[in-house]
Amino acid sequence: MPDAPTLTTDSGKARAFPRATLADPRRATRLVLAIFLGPGLLVYCGLTAYPAFRTIYDSFFTIEGLDATFVGLANYRDLMGDETFWVAVRNTFVWSFVAPVLDVATGLLLALALYAGVPFARFLRVAWFTPVLLSYVVVAILWMWIYNYDWGVLNVLLRAVGLGDLASSWLGDPKLALGAVIVTHAWKWAGFNMVVCLAAIHSLPKEVLEAADLDNCGWGAKLRYIIIPLLRPTLLSLYILSFIGKMKVFDLVWIMTQGGPLWATETVSTYVYKRAFNWNTFDLGYPSAIATVWFLVVCVSVIILNRVLGSRERLEY
Amino acid sequence: MTKFGRVGAAVAVAAGIGWSGHAFAQEPTQITMWSNWPDEPAKKEWVTARVKDFEAANKQCTVKLSFIPKADIYTQAKSAVRTGQAPDIFYMEPDQPEFLAGGFLEPLDSYVDLKNLEDWAKPAWTSNGKVYGVPVEAYTVELYYNKDLVKKVGVDVPASFQLTQAQFTDLVKKGVAAGITPVSQGVGDRPFPGGQLLFESLLRKLGPDDYKKLLSGELSFKDPRVQDVMTWMKGLVEAGAYPKSFSTLKLGESHFYFYNTPGALTFPDPSWFTGRAFAPPEKGGMPVGFPLGIMKFPAMDKGACPDCKTLAVAGSFVMYSKSKNKDCAGALLKSMATVDNGTKWIGEVSLQSGLKSDPAKIVSEHKDYFTELNARNSGVTYFFGTPLLYYRAKCADTYVQVMNNAFPAGLLSVQDAAEKMDAACLKK
Repeated sequence: MPDAPTLTTDSGKARAFPRATLADPRRATRLVLAIFLGPGLLVYCGLTAYPAFRTIYDSFFTIEGLDATFVGLANYRDLMGDETFWVAVRNTFVWSFVAPVLDVATGLLLALALYAGVPFARFLRVAWFTPVLLSYVVVAILWMWIYNYDWGVLNVLLRAVGLGDLASSWLGDPKLALGAVIVTHAWKWAGFNMVVCLAAIHSLPKEVLEAADLDNCGWGAKLRYIIIPLLRPTLLSLYILSFIGKMKVFDLVWIMTQGGPLWATETVSTYVYKRAFNWNTFDLGYPSAIATVWFLVVCVSVIILNRVLGSRERLEY
Repeated sequence: MTKFGRVGAAVAVAAGIGWSGHAFAQEPTQITMWSNWPDEPAKKEWVTARVKDFEAANKQCTVKLSFIPKADIYTQAKSAVRTGQAPDIFYMEPDQPEFLAGGFLEPLDSYVDLKNLEDWAKPAWTSNGKVYGVPVEAYTVELYYNKDLVKKVGVDVPASFQLTQAQFTDLVKKGVAAGITPVSQGVGDRPFPGGQLLFESLLRKLGPDDYKKLLSGELSFKDPRVQDVMTWMKGLVEAGAYPKSFSTLKLGESHFYFYNTPGALTFPDPSWFTGRAFAPPEKGGMPVGFPLGIMKFPAMDKGACPDCKTLAVAGSFVMYSKSKNKDCAGALLKSMATVDNGTKWIGEVSLQSGLKSDPAKIVSEHKDYFTELNARNSGVTYFFGTPLLYYRAKCADTYVQVMNNAFPAGLLSVQDAAEKMDAACLKK
């Protein structure tokens, strides 16, 4: 058994310390560790790990009422031939890869506007951030009004400026519906991205920016060659955060279109919900299979994105 | 304490225990009940009154009654029945058969006097010879119209109250020409309204037997008769029959659209139309003096059954099979399922009921409406059930996306719509 650590006191006497103390968490006893970790682990196991494993487990069963029948990989086999699932996958990928660009770009533009000192910057900062504080329900209803064919502000404006031909049923046309919902989502989250970008801009090294000013570097060049490269890790983090959020998007779509028209806005999450609760069946096996597949897809996608986009910087999210 | 005192104390304690036990026995049993219709005052009042009557007559039972939108009831009940936490009684419609198939509903034969239910309504809730629901609300699918506007566009509704295919097309075209939306309809929050005009027309074209085959996946949507009706329907859509906001217009809004702003010529709707329309105008009801008429759905050319129409059971109450308070829950359902309550439902809600009623005792502010509704339902051949009562799973989802939405919105051709429906619904 190794010796216990010792400490020489002022009086020169060596005093033995207990093997672990509360003062040094790395040397805490197992009991202390259990006390501190226990509640968190319990919550994690009960509300995250168990449901996740149970979902994977259920995906191998057909559950009718109170009876579960083992079906092996049948649910996964059916899923591969499920046309609606593939439409939902396509839509979700469009959301996840395209919409974050819009989100981050909008957030960056707003942040740059504030950084450049636009008039009423204080007011605008609050105004642009406010949508982040609104619930999806409120945002969805608000934009359903904006998109209303007869009296929605968008069509009213188009008609007012003589572009009445462009007035459309924004949520009723399969060609427009997905884009319309993506814009709504971007509007809601632009403020969040703006705040993060603004904080990152303010933390940029001043000497670099001042050196650029001394070199007569214009605003555009400064943005292109200094600000955006320095913000790259932040922008990538925002992109991946946004990507993950959109891979799971449900609320906004459900309230605004319920996946319609003609599955044009169906996402994997709305499809899982429909299969679990709207298909005149209590079977959770098939929806569990969809959820399991999608869980793996999200994990793999994030790993790939990390590798491709974040190879040079350490990303935090 | 003296011996006498000790005996006295013991008696007092025993009496106390006895009294508290008695009091405990008197503690009423509380049952929970979820009802739909939070936004339909007449129905809400009918349910509330039945519960109050029950509580007054059964002091041993109390009812915790909640009014929750239908979709939320279904979603919550689906989770709750699995975990044993569903309410003792909840609202259900026959198009949710999974609750019955999953064994979550209690047969009511031993609780409710089945003689008080209409014979045509019982099959909606019958399985293996047992009845599982109290069918309070029943309805027929009607074609309401604005008498003044229809006259204004130059169409005279014939004495039979039934236009032909060509006359209905003419009505649509005249409405469009006059800048009046011919058919108020929207599918923003419901899975069925967009299919009403088409499927009522298909019923009249095919007759009940073949229509049932169509709904059961035994007849293709490429059948020439079905194609004829769909082609006619496509023509109406292209002529501008529906509002431009069809895809996002909600049911409540389509009511307002019809009898208020901007106004429409016709409004296909189940006869539960009254739930919203007869609410006070300030609560979104029909304006006083609105020239409401009811016509028959158009007769199809060479139709097999021009006098057919859809009859269905909607709002019903069921008992949870794992309820711990079945006595009180059964007693409440029994007290609801009476001829007297059926009579009150019809009088107060102005809608048909699956409960038997006494026509002589119906008291209603809307007698004229009832007279007209009865006239449109005289001599008809009823077909029981709407498409969503027959369609399930992928077929039902396809119906919602295609026949309820995309086809009447003009987004799909007849051929494409038929192919999608066949792919999802036709039994191979």
